Amino acid sequence: MELLIAALIIAAILFGIGLYGALSQTNLVMIMMGIELMLGAAMINLVAFWRYLHPEAFSLQMFVLIAMTVMALEGAVGFAMATHRFRTSGTVEMEESAELKG
Amino acid sequence: MISVQLILLIIFGLAAIWFGWRVFMTSSMVRSAFSLLGSMVAIGILFLVMEAEFLGVLQIMMMGTEMSIMAIFMMMFMMDPGGLGNMDMSHQKNISIVAGIVVTAFVAGVAFTTDWGIFADQVQEPHEQNRLLGMEILKRSMMIFETAGVTILTGMIASIAVAISIKNDAKK
Repeated sequence: MELLIAALIIAAILFGIGLYGALSQTNLVMIMMGIELMLGAAMINLVAFWRYLHPEAFSLQMFVLIAMTVMALEGAVGFAMATHRFRTSGTVEMEESAELKG
Repeated sequence: MISVQLILLIIFGLAAIWFGWRVFMTSSMVRSAFSLLGSMVAIGILFLVMEAEFLGVLQIMMMGTEMSIMAIFMMMFMMDPGGLGNMDMSHQKNISIVAGIVVTAFVAGVAFTTDWGIFADQVQEPHEQNRLLGMEILKRSMMIFETAGVTILTGMIASIAVAISIKNDAKK
């Protein structure tokens, strides 16, 4: 059981670091890096649950594949937004993005 | 009893955490991207330690490519990608630190206090895992997998549509 707990603690710390990064950074690409770390932590949890609790349930591995898809899509759409933002305002600093404020 | 698997799990887990921490602690954006690559590779090795060979190799290959692209984007978009000017690009630091610590403590508390039930010692051989994952994808989870494919296609089209130059459209 200590193997599962160790994996979950590692994932919890990684999630906390990712959350800190996503909340504290002002640059769009750095915020994306924080989100990637949080998704990585979620994937560690899924693999640990599959390996140590239900190795017969391959739907858990399927969840990891979906999480990887989400990571790739988040990267692609995030970079596209960064490209558009850079073209229109010359920066990807999120503190300067206040156009949608009422 | 401390097993080899537990030692490897702790070593590569600490590596993933250290690289993850370095992402936000360096002033060089390129170093941040490569630190994230290090963290993601360590997560892939954790998958290999947990005997999920296919997912481990997939994670290392996918993240190697994605983080290399991220490093290139960093160089393109940042005013100071090498971090020579020691620019600070963070805000609400104290709230972020408190949020990170509280969430970590809460999740770790849940991990410690939950009764996880029966612990599985054995896992299938890698070739049998691949066969069973393939059967899962082609049977019960086929719709989910198909949805992921369509979602990737939609994401690709959306990315191109968002990133395309507005100036070129105006000229036409």
